[in-house]
Amino acid sequence: MKNIFKLIPVLLIVILTSCSKNLDINIDPKQPVTTAPNLRLPAILGNMAYHLYSHARFSSYHSFYITSRYNTSKVEALWNYNDVTRLGAWRWHYFDVGSNCLGMIERAEVDGTYNYRGVGKIMLAFSYLTATDSFGDMPYKEAYKGIYYPKYDTQEVVYAEIAKLLNDGIADLNKSNASDPTMNGTADLIYQGDLNKWKAFAEAVKARLLLHTANFQNGYDAVLSAVNTSLSGFSDAVFKYPTTPTKDWERNMWGASIARPEWNFAEIVNMLNNSVSTDLFMSYMTVGEPGLKFDPRLFKLTTPGVKNTYYGAKASEGLVVPNWPVPIPPADPVPPVMDDFANLYNGHWTADNSPFPYILKEELYFIKAEAAFYKADHATAFDAYKEGIKLNMQRLGVAESEITAYLASSKIKQDAASLEISDIMVQKYIALYLQAETWVDLRRYGYNAKAYPGIYYPAKASSEWAGKWIQRLPYDNQTEYIYNPQEMARLGATARNWVFTPVWWADKSTLKN
Amino acid sequence: MKRKILMLFLSTFLLVAHTIAQQITVTGKVTSADDKLGVPGASVKIKGTSSGVQTNLDGAYSIKVAKGEVLVFSYIGFVTQEKTVGSAAVIDAVLATDSKGLSEVVVTALGIKRDKRTLTYSVQTVKGDDLRDANQSNIINGLQGQIAGAQITSSGGSPGLPSEIILRGVSSLTGDNQPLMIVDGIRVSNASSDGTINRLADFNPADIESISVLKGAAAAALYGIDAASGAIIITTKKGKEGKMQSNLSYKSFIETVGRTPEQQKIYTSGTGSGFDESSISSWGRKYRSDELIYNNIDRFFKTGVVHDVNFNATGGAEKFNYYMSGNYNNGSSIIPNTETDKFSMLIKGSAQLAKNLELNASANYIKNNIKEGIVGGSSGGYANGIYMYPLRYDINRYQYENGNPYYEYYENSGSEETARISPMWGVMRNPRNTGTQRIVVNGELAYKANDWINLSFRSGQDYYNQEFSNITVPGTPGSYMKDGRLYQTKGNYKYQTNIFNSTFDRNIIKDLRATLILGASSEYFEASTNSFTGTGFIVPDIYSVNNIPATNLITAEGLRKRQRYAVYGDFKLDYKNMLSFGITGRNDWSSTLPINARSFYSPSFSGSFTFSELFENKDSWFGKLRASYAKVGKDAPIYATYTTLSPYYGIGGGYQNNPTIGGNTNLVAETTREKEFGVEFRLFKSRLNIEAAYYDKESHDQIVTARVPLPTGFVNQTFNAGKLRNRGFELSLTGIPVKTKDFTWSATLNTWINRSKMLEFPGQIEVFPYTFGNPYNAAKAASMLNMPVLGIVGTDYLKNDDGYTVIGGDGYPVINSANSAQYIGNREPKLNFGFLNRFNYKDFSLSFLWDFRFGGDVYNATRLGMTSRGISKEVGDWRDQSFTFNGVVLQDDGSYVKNTKQVSLDYKYFVENYAVTGTNFIETVNWARVRYITLAYSLPKKYTDRLKLARVGIELSAQNPILITNYSGGDPEVNSAGPNAGGGGGSTMGVDYGAIPLSRSYSIGISVGF
Repeated sequence: MKNIFKLIPVLLIVILTSCSKNLDINIDPKQPVTTAPNLRLPAILGNMAYHLYSHARFSSYHSFYITSRYNTSKVEALWNYNDVTRLGAWRWHYFDVGSNCLGMIERAEVDGTYNYRGVGKIMLAFSYLTATDSFGDMPYKEAYKGIYYPKYDTQEVVYAEIAKLLNDGIADLNKSNASDPTMNGTADLIYQGDLNKWKAFAEAVKARLLLHTANFQNGYDAVLSAVNTSLSGFSDAVFKYPTTPTKDWERNMWGASIARPEWNFAEIVNMLNNSVSTDLFMSYMTVGEPGLKFDPRLFKLTTPGVKNTYYGAKASEGLVVPNWPVPIPPADPVPPVMDDFANLYNGHWTADNSPFPYILKEELYFIKAEAAFYKADHATAFDAYKEGIKLNMQRLGVAESEITAYLASSKIKQDAASLEISDIMVQKYIALYLQAETWVDLRRYGYNAKAYPGIYYPAKASSEWAGKWIQRLPYDNQTEYIYNPQEMARLGATARNWVFTPVWWADKSTLKN
Repeated sequence: MKRKILMLFLSTFLLVAHTIAQQITVTGKVTSADDKLGVPGASVKIKGTSSGVQTNLDGAYSIKVAKGEVLVFSYIGFVTQEKTVGSAAVIDAVLATDSKGLSEVVVTALGIKRDKRTLTYSVQTVKGDDLRDANQSNIINGLQGQIAGAQITSSGGSPGLPSEIILRGVSSLTGDNQPLMIVDGIRVSNASSDGTINRLADFNPADIESISVLKGAAAAALYGIDAASGAIIITTKKGKEGKMQSNLSYKSFIETVGRTPEQQKIYTSGTGSGFDESSISSWGRKYRSDELIYNNIDRFFKTGVVHDVNFNATGGAEKFNYYMSGNYNNGSSIIPNTETDKFSMLIKGSAQLAKNLELNASANYIKNNIKEGIVGGSSGGYANGIYMYPLRYDINRYQYENGNPYYEYYENSGSEETARISPMWGVMRNPRNTGTQRIVVNGELAYKANDWINLSFRSGQDYYNQEFSNITVPGTPGSYMKDGRLYQTKGNYKYQTNIFNSTFDRNIIKDLRATLILGASSEYFEASTNSFTGTGFIVPDIYSVNNIPATNLITAEGLRKRQRYAVYGDFKLDYKNMLSFGITGRNDWSSTLPINARSFYSPSFSGSFTFSELFENKDSWFGKLRASYAKVGKDAPIYATYTTLSPYYGIGGGYQNNPTIGGNTNLVAETTREKEFGVEFRLFKSRLNIEAAYYDKESHDQIVTARVPLPTGFVNQTFNAGKLRNRGFELSLTGIPVKTKDFTWSATLNTWINRSKMLEFPGQIEVFPYTFGNPYNAAKAASMLNMPVLGIVGTDYLKNDDGYTVIGGDGYPVINSANSAQYIGNREPKLNFGFLNRFNYKDFSLSFLWDFRFGGDVYNATRLGMTSRGISKEVGDWRDQSFTFNGVVLQDDGSYVKNTKQVSLDYKYFVENYAVTGTNFIETVNWARVRYITLAYSLPKKYTDRLKLARVGIELSAQNPILITNYSGGDPEVNSAGPNAGGGGGSTMGVDYGAIPLSRSYSIGISVGF
């Protein structure tokens, strides 16, 4: 009997020692904690396409490419972001692209290899640039530090850090050697492991970045240097979806299937089924010459509507078309319907299987044209301008004869001397159809009609904004305003009209007047 | 089939039932010395054996016994009496009230039975009979109103929806706030993953002997890291020695829909003016007199019928006894295409293996299949589709005879497609199915070393599988559902518990009794799950993963494990039943916390002073003061400390960071510290018992899993968040106001208040909205710093310094748009009452429970949605009426004058002003409701004897028959997302978002004892 009591402490000791091992079970055995970088790159690249889309989904309306059929739609027509719970873009940068880049970079650092490390830094830089151009100030130095109320760095600081990341990325790629792990088409869905193309891409990102500030930082030489370096080895950076996708994960977000691969895509599904081209966009696409009524790219960017007519609606006003044919009395007026407009689906960029552009080569030509234009090198500007148009038309599959005809039309300047900035910007606008970068250009130019002839303030934008133009996207309402209220207040982001405050480069821009 | 199994088990037990030597039959009556009334249920045993009988309702008994043997008469609260059997065939016993009077044994933490007199903390007990009178198949619902301090809310009137129980306010902002559930000493699951019913509902209420509710930290302190939310200790019935007794009962329930929201029947479809067929809103012109209007809410809800059969048998011999039961429950519901099918069987036995060694074992098998017509999202919203469906459509018209969908509206212009169908399509064609099979086994070996040392070892496992499927059939409108969609999860869950206990109990010196319990436990949890999501059925009518193209199928496997170990001790000193002092300590080690925070210590100190012992007449009353302090805790969710990768389903595959959880290696256990003071009285010879408690409980470092700032690189993370407080008062009065020979009225009044306050948030957080409690932006379920925890924040109208509503120049009130996160509601009731009554008159008994609630706000998001859609009754009442808002208008000089401008309450006002202002939908709710009325009749013995039956009872009952409330919507007992809030956690109690009203049901039952 007494032996039992003697046994108890012994038993306890035995139990306790074996216990501590049994307690080490808090790592999910069904999920890895880290993987080789080649298994992380596809997600980064695919998520970057989603990230770019998550900006474009909204900026396409602010850039006058398209407008909602409903003149009451809060964000698209009224420019009211105050009731938006989540926008997606914030998450796509910091989490879906950014945190995965960091995870891949960390692993490559542990492994002591450089190729994925360099690509990771370049992608992180590209993602930061995409994000800050919509959001302005954002955490950089205190990001990814586990801090729930990080300090928001100014956009100027963020820009400097992005430039540094790009240089570091290029430096890493230069250090890459044969002992690095394989990077081929299964992991690198953009360049199939061609590091020189990645370096050219990094220069392209740098050119895009430098262009945004060149006007007030006297930076056009740097822009030209970057763009020329890039063009010497550049190959289009586009994310390709399969020809015949079978599930939403394989579909372009702009596609007619309105892909929604998971619940977190809910806030960014496309609404092209309820949207039409604007009159501004149509005016840019209208040549109005015999045999050349429209820019041939119109039929590549959109597909014919039911009535095969191509009207453009006034931005924000719903299906309101300027100069809509007045019926001869006593016939009742028939208002425009969706069928009077082009179908926005199944264009070059808007089919389920469309590629999604990161940076296109023609953008580099237009960057070069703009920079050269301001360096008064009109000859270079003119060549780049023509090159950009041609490249874009070829990409969209326009026949060479039509390209020639279009290039000879009144829509196109025929000599360097008559080239105006609006020529470059309008052509860039068309070439970057639906891309978020266009919104950057519009804001750099303060929505100025000198750069964008015919642009007008949308009639239905809420009177609460007092005629101000939309300038940015709001921070994530569901997290930043809850966890970081003081920083939000410091930035002024708590104001209802916060999104009408220009970001740093738009505020500083000298191109607005 | 089921019956056959039942009979098989029964006969197995019958075979081993023994026979008692035939001697003489002694009859008699046991009466109370006090009131000369018969004592029902008193034990009459033959001394030295284990055989015995119980007295019937009149106190009469009959027993076979040999001459010279001694009969022992005993009953709780009375002095035990012994009588030797002589030649008399009738032996009556008059039992005197126990001088100590009032001995009552209650089950406390770890199943330890303790004398309630010297208990140093509060434990409230619900008797199985009171629970059964409620006629609720979900045990949690049966506890409503019976426990002071328990806030119980069900998520609605569909049988598969979960109920939530919160003791003494919430302690966690996310995750489960529900108490630990213990059945016969082992932990069982009460989870409701995928929004299914809370799994405690699997257990058969008919098997329950009693439920002890450990509300406070001190009472539950021996559960350590599990004790922050209290504990519910369920004890099932035990085998009774003696001749086999068995009981068969059948009940039939008719369920009807309870209180529903009201709709307007004036305006047809449209958006603000004329008729617009394409609109789902009811903001059109007035219905023409020739247009049909369907009363869709009435047409939708049906009458459900539920059948419930229970059988149990108990008996035993000297060295062993057994209890077994079977239950079959099958029924429909107020929701069409909804069905429950439940079968359970419990076998318990206990055997005296050796002189000092006892073995107790039980096995419980449960099958619970539920098919539900209404499927909701994770925020609830179950019945919104019904409440908002335009009345010009017949809700019952949803398909053609060939089964093809009947679209009430269809538009396909080539560039877009819109299809509208009755919500009945989803109900009839896309139900969700939950199937569970569960086996709970439990064994205990108890060794009595001597008269003061007991050792026991218990080992048990709660194992269940749960299959959940939600099929969306082809033809269902919705962009990605056109070709059908499948979502299935299959999971195996187990809780394994091993407990070793040693008890030392003796008087160390005269009048000083010491009790020491030392023990250790191990608890292991494992959940292995598989889920399948796929779109596009190849063949339209086979709903299986086999019938989904492999490329469209996403499968996932999960394996979650948790191990906990604990050692604990409980030391208690009692001096002369007058002074008691207890101290407990427990150390837990949990695998879910980081290594350096893995060990967690939970102490408690408590004492009581029975001051009535100081008085001369101490035997006729009882008075006690008690005080306690305890610190208990809660560990983290599984796998919250490390970031893992999850598969990337896009092109190229591979892995990406897992958005569902970002690792946090800084987690520590959540701690709750609680002080409790209590007083207990028993007066008028125990006819009146009063128990009151005040508690002050502070929870620190709450473990919260929430969406976190994205710059951290995480989407969701688990972190420690601040501090909150609950203070409250509980009063429980139990009494027998009237007791005569034929008539007894006993009553229990439970009343409680709880006041909570959010004391601290981490970092700079000021308002913390609950992800699943914010159906609309106008108002959200949230916690706010320095405010009651279960709050509602949202928009209000602008007020001037004097508190008047500011009216704009246009005559409409001005929304305070600068601050859309004002604290506009507190979802916790101000005051609760549960008033339980039981009348016994001869062979009749009538019991009913009134439940009163005063104060506390309900967020009527159902009405908000209905108003936005133009279908709520208030739209019908007020639309386009002229109205002058009560308020003041700002003048140019800064002064305010009373508003006099008359305006029209038009579409624009309702949609852009009224429906976006949260305060318009916050209602302070009072209710008085009868939870149940049960009238039972037992056939007198002379008839049952003739029938050769031991008992025959008939019962009529009604559940939720009466509801009186000022609430404008349906039933105000609401909890939109249920206890686990869609998996995201946090309580959504008081959020009415398309709630399915509780059903009002009526039942008839017959029970026969053999």
